[in-house]
Amino acid sequence: MNAESDLPIRERLTHWVEHLTHVLPAQAPIRNFIHHNTLHGFQHLPFPEALAAAHGLTGAAVYWPDSRFHECHAAGRIRREDLVAALDDAGLADLDQLVVCTLTRSDVLLASLLENRQVPGASRFDWLARERGVDSDPVFALCRALTAALPEVAEKNDWRRLAGARWEALCQRVGGEWTLRSLLEYLTGEDVLERVRSVLQRHLAAHLDLGIAAWRNPRLELGFFAAWRACAGLDMQWELDELPNVRDEIVHLVDSPLDVLVEELSRLIPDESLWYGYLERLSLELPGWSGMFLWRDRNPARGDGTPVAMLDYLAVRVLLERMLCEDLMCRLTGAPMSFDELRAYYAASPAEFFVRDAARRQSLAEDLQAQAATLLDAENIASEQAWTTLAVAIASRQTERDALDRAWQLLCLSRQLELTPADLATLTPPDAEALLACAGSLTALQRGQIWLLAYERRYREQLFVALATNHPRQATVAAPSAQVVMCMDDREEGTRRHLEEIAPAVVTYGAVGFFGIEMYWQGLDDAEKTALCPVVVKPKHLVREVPEAGSEAAFAGHAAWREKRLRWRERLYQSTRRSPLGGTLLTALAGAPALASLVAATAAPGWFGETRQRWRQQLDGRVATELRLTAELASPATPEQPQAGFADAEQVDRIEAFLRMIGLTVNFAPLVLMFGHGSGSLNNPHLSAYDCGACSGRHGGPNARVFAAMANRPAVRQGLSERGIHIPETTWFVAAEHNTCDDGIEWYDLPCVPAPFQAALDTLVSQLGEACRAHAAERCRRLASAPERPSPWQGRQHVIGRASDFSQARPELGHATNAAAFIGRREMSRGLFLDRRVFLISYDPLSDDDGGIAEGILLAAGPVGAGIALEYYFSTVDNERFGCGSKITHNITGLFGVMEGADSDLRTGLPWQMVEIHEPMRLLVVVEQTPEVLTAILKRQPPLQQLINNAWIVLAAKSPSTAAIEFYCPRRGWLPWSGKAVLPQVARSSDWFAGEHEPLAPALLLGAAR
Amino acid sequence: MMEILSHLPDWVWLVPMLPMFAVIINGLRVFFGLAKGDAAEPLTARLSSLAAFGGLLLLLAIDALALAQGVPGHRVLAVWFGSGNWQGTFSFLLDGLSLTMSTLTALIGWLVIRFSANYVHREAGFHRFFIVLCFFLAGMQLVLLAGNGLLAFVGWEMCGVASFLLIGYAWHRPVATGNALFVFVTNRGGDAGFLLALGFAAAWQGSFEWPVLAAGSHISVASARLVALGFVLAALAKSAQLPFTPWIARALEGPTPSSAIFYGAVMVHAGVYLLLRLEPLLLQLPDVMAGLLVLGVLTAVYAWLCGLVQSDVKSALIFATVFQVALMFIEIGLGWTTLALVHLCLHAAWRTWQFLLAPSWLAITRQRPPPPPLWLRRNQLLYTMALQRFWLDILSQKLFVQPTEAFARDVRGLEEHFIDPAIGQVGRGRPIDPERPLVLADGIPGRLLAASSEVLQRVENRLLLRGRGGTAEKLLQRAGSYLQTLENLLEQPRYLMMAVMATFVVIL
Repeated sequence: MNAESDLPIRERLTHWVEHLTHVLPAQAPIRNFIHHNTLHGFQHLPFPEALAAAHGLTGAAVYWPDSRFHECHAAGRIRREDLVAALDDAGLADLDQLVVCTLTRSDVLLASLLENRQVPGASRFDWLARERGVDSDPVFALCRALTAALPEVAEKNDWRRLAGARWEALCQRVGGEWTLRSLLEYLTGEDVLERVRSVLQRHLAAHLDLGIAAWRNPRLELGFFAAWRACAGLDMQWELDELPNVRDEIVHLVDSPLDVLVEELSRLIPDESLWYGYLERLSLELPGWSGMFLWRDRNPARGDGTPVAMLDYLAVRVLLERMLCEDLMCRLTGAPMSFDELRAYYAASPAEFFVRDAARRQSLAEDLQAQAATLLDAENIASEQAWTTLAVAIASRQTERDALDRAWQLLCLSRQLELTPADLATLTPPDAEALLACAGSLTALQRGQIWLLAYERRYREQLFVALATNHPRQATVAAPSAQVVMCMDDREEGTRRHLEEIAPAVVTYGAVGFFGIEMYWQGLDDAEKTALCPVVVKPKHLVREVPEAGSEAAFAGHAAWREKRLRWRERLYQSTRRSPLGGTLLTALAGAPALASLVAATAAPGWFGETRQRWRQQLDGRVATELRLTAELASPATPEQPQAGFADAEQVDRIEAFLRMIGLTVNFAPLVLMFGHGSGSLNNPHLSAYDCGACSGRHGGPNARVFAAMANRPAVRQGLSERGIHIPETTWFVAAEHNTCDDGIEWYDLPCVPAPFQAALDTLVSQLGEACRAHAAERCRRLASAPERPSPWQGRQHVIGRASDFSQARPELGHATNAAAFIGRREMSRGLFLDRRVFLISYDPLSDDDGGIAEGILLAAGPVGAGIALEYYFSTVDNERFGCGSKITHNITGLFGVMEGADSDLRTGLPWQMVEIHEPMRLLVVVEQTPEVLTAILKRQPPLQQLINNAWIVLAAKSPSTAAIEFYCPRRGWLPWSGKAVLPQVARSSDWFAGEHEPLAPALLLGAAR
Repeated sequence: MMEILSHLPDWVWLVPMLPMFAVIINGLRVFFGLAKGDAAEPLTARLSSLAAFGGLLLLLAIDALALAQGVPGHRVLAVWFGSGNWQGTFSFLLDGLSLTMSTLTALIGWLVIRFSANYVHREAGFHRFFIVLCFFLAGMQLVLLAGNGLLAFVGWEMCGVASFLLIGYAWHRPVATGNALFVFVTNRGGDAGFLLALGFAAAWQGSFEWPVLAAGSHISVASARLVALGFVLAALAKSAQLPFTPWIARALEGPTPSSAIFYGAVMVHAGVYLLLRLEPLLLQLPDVMAGLLVLGVLTAVYAWLCGLVQSDVKSALIFATVFQVALMFIEIGLGWTTLALVHLCLHAAWRTWQFLLAPSWLAITRQRPPPPPLWLRRNQLLYTMALQRFWLDILSQKLFVQPTEAFARDVRGLEEHFIDPAIGQVGRGRPIDPERPLVLADGIPGRLLAASSEVLQRVENRLLLRGRGGTAEKLLQRAGSYLQTLENLLEQPRYLMMAVMATFVVIL
């Protein structure tokens, strides 16, 4: 910071704003929801440290609470051996050291993890003493005797000193963990932001709005500060709120937001070194709005042309903070003062502070809390005498409580350690102290970390056992009837498994779902082009879908009709809320049809959805289409000016690279199916979170279609064979898209398939249909409203109804079950039931000696998989702060996000409905490659070092030739795995999952083995 | 067959009662801890939707009957209570107005309950949500079908309570609970009007029955005006017309389906219904009609301006709703009541759909709605006012909510400083007589007890301690031993139970 403090303030502020991108939510407007690591800004730190830092900064929970882990322990999801191993993994020192008698540190820590840390409050303790006779329990009496003499307890009598120290500590927080507002809120319980929050949020939403408000601020073009100020200067709220000076101040402000910011900051907090911390903290008080403002600041091209500058926002926030805090301080102490004066004020009245502090901590007994509340509530300022009396009372009660707490902890600990009263009697008070100190040596964060490690380990063991058991059963299909290439998506694991069970001669592959074709796509009905590739890639090619030759007239009719339909729909929805006269008329016209639609959609959602779809298609008319994917010549192109189509050589490059990556270079089947995916559901603002993450949260079907069309072109095949990949004449590429919500399939360009392939195609179509139905039945097991043990047909009917049901808050469960990723040949996992929990990425280690292909895959799939897994992780462990809460009160705001109700922070992250069944774990990546090759890759690639060495994902290597598995620990290097267990064996998937609702362990599928 | 059918209207009380049964059953299930986990959800949802659907079927049957044989009209089913020459009755008024509205409400209620079964799945407040929704439905049907003002007022209050509970659905969010309180308190202003009107009616017309009230006969125009004004106040508050409009924009904290049925479709129209019900009375009072017209126009302008600046879907829709309801007030003010009823029904249907589809806004719309005319667009002051909702929000906070809170605080102060010390508190006792430090008392009852114990003490001293060996002591000793035996017996639970039961028998 030293070097920085010499820079002019303007540059420093720019740096600071840049730095804010690391701590604020980086979610784009919700139409383009892409999964990313919620704590992306902390990725340079090791996982536990990053979590600790995030916890310190935002106060959010970063691990599941102990109670959830205790439940898992009770249910057998975590075993004792996992905890023991986790203690070791967490890198705790001296685990074998003896604490007392024969008890090692590890025993005591284990007991402390398993014990319930909650000490009963005063009232509950009274109840326990009365009803359960805890007080007269001899063991408890022993515990009290052992802890009574502990030195720590006696020290706390000097409450004046304690209060002084605590006040100083709290003041230190300002500019770091707290703002002045938080300090005052802590003191008084009054949140000054609350008075202006609603209006500020309305201003923010109005400024960022992308298309809901009809009327914008007249000063919009001058930026947020000017627009806000123009309104605030006319606002009567200040007078009504008894803040008349505020308006004068606003009116007389200088015009430059930068000057205002600097001026106000220095008035608020004179110490310049705290300014960045203060701004960071201030932004984090409304993380959703601050994050969206910053995102728009950073991505001006993605907005609507309104100038959005983060400094404007910060200036307004700091200004309001200073004015409102001054007002509160004045009311609190009876005199206007600055922060420094407030500091001196409470340092001089420790009694008042002590009472306020104790009351805010909520740890007081009921009667004391009530007395404190009365004093705090008093409209006129209470006397020094009253504060002191209460402070003394609180302090004396506190000492008693502490002794009781320690005795209680010792009691719980001795129960966990299974100490008999006789054992306890042999302990001395120092022993007891040693025990308590050892048990208390784990911080809450460490406890969470150890539990998480144990939780992850249990699943990892199951998965390793499955892989090792499956190793001898590996066999390749000699002459596949078809090869199906799907997205690596964990949801497709189910589809692939069912397809292989139904059609043993089919071979499946998995790859990043844009199939190596990074492109802008403009479908027939699309007004604009969209990028279909991972969000970090900027495509330079545009592929358009155009009407087939001869159907231009049909297309013109279709386009005109469709445009008319959409315009009327738009008019209906917009003017019924916006125009006085037309709106009334349209409301009257639409009332009856709306009621009829409601009845139909409620009574038979599946039927209504399909019927509506069919009618719409009939009315719009079907147009046969083709792709404009070939360019004559490659030309220099930019993302802004993309080249229309790919040149031949560019096509060959992409097809070759992709086929080599998935290891499909020889032994082509008659049919190769490129199978993209997307999701369709109604009434769902988070729709794009269910789509293909590798296609920027869009449908991946067009990529599959373009890939197949390219691979069928003779010129491309010619080029490929020159490069050593011979695709025979007897092979044809087809494309389709899988709807992961209703398990339907949309096939592309079927009329173009030559006649010789027709029979094989018919077979594949029916096999795939059957697989999707079986998959739908499997998905039903996790859905509460699905029929119990459905047949494939029932399952499919259920998911169809779900997809077209506008009342369904869980159209599908998305990636909720993701837990691991396999990078290797499908043979490694074929024949295993993996419960839709594993990303499957095809990779042939035998043709990749130097690890170049693995490196590419890890670089592409690593961040994608980690992004999905970590976003689910954080949204699960603290859905209030990292996630966006329950969908049912969500309210779309400005077309860029959702609020809860009509007046809240902007909510980012995943809704609770998407994560409720998620098991929060880091992604376990198993690569079929030797540890040596992987180590070499890791050394070459800093992005992977960050992910893997900082333990944001967990890496393991499975030997390509043997069943050996090694597990990578950033601290200790590669550790050979040696677990043994028997895997359950069943004939088919459906035998294993029928009637089950919870996550299932892997199983061997005998019927599917080849 | 026709015989049975013609009795159908006598069963109309089932329409509000069926949802009430669902409330009771589901409430009991929750109370006894039977409603837990996924397995309990379908039963709650099905009971609720069955109740709503049953009501709908019954109403459809009555509708059919009404179409065939004419409307059943005013029916007194039972007498609630009577006093002097007026009585409160369980009467229902089944005419074109109430049957239309009630059928539509039943249909929308059923649809929204079906919608919620999926939407609210696995929420912590799942059962609570359905209980409150059914409670609301019962209250609303009572308002619509009631044949007298008293019964309608019961329903009116039930709607208010249900609305309060659902705004505060996410009770752990301070914003939600604060808004729930705000809405509740503002609505009480309207309730006061309703109650006042009922009181006047009882005093001057001797009846609560709608036909009598609406006819407004036998009373002077001035009295009729007072009655009408009371009801108009109630209607303005419930339908969120000026000056009560701010509450409705703060009522959007509940789950989407509850926003749809309460503020989009059904409850917001209750005020319009009340005025339609009183149409004959209003027609006699052109000045009140003119007032309605003016308020309607003002509200319409207000809602239109505010609606233009809203940047979130639910707020935008709620101001659109208020605008349309304001048009209905204008229509009533002009005397076009049939048009108002048709407008109401069509609007309710459309708005239910639009609110339930609010989460689809991203998919439905493609572009920003057209901006307002240029003169308006450039006006910074009007923009500020629209964004601040003309400060009505904060004004009503100052005028309604804060005085109420201050009053509550004063009452609490009174209790703390006067009533509490007077009653006394356990464990706070102080010795009254310095000679007897064991006798502790606090508060008036405590002091009374202490005083009586002192008297008894004196009696004891006189009789027993002074007269040692006297007859009194012997008698007392004997009586004491009897009492001892009795006490021993009473200590055994069965005798204690008998004693308790005997006490009850005596009391009864």
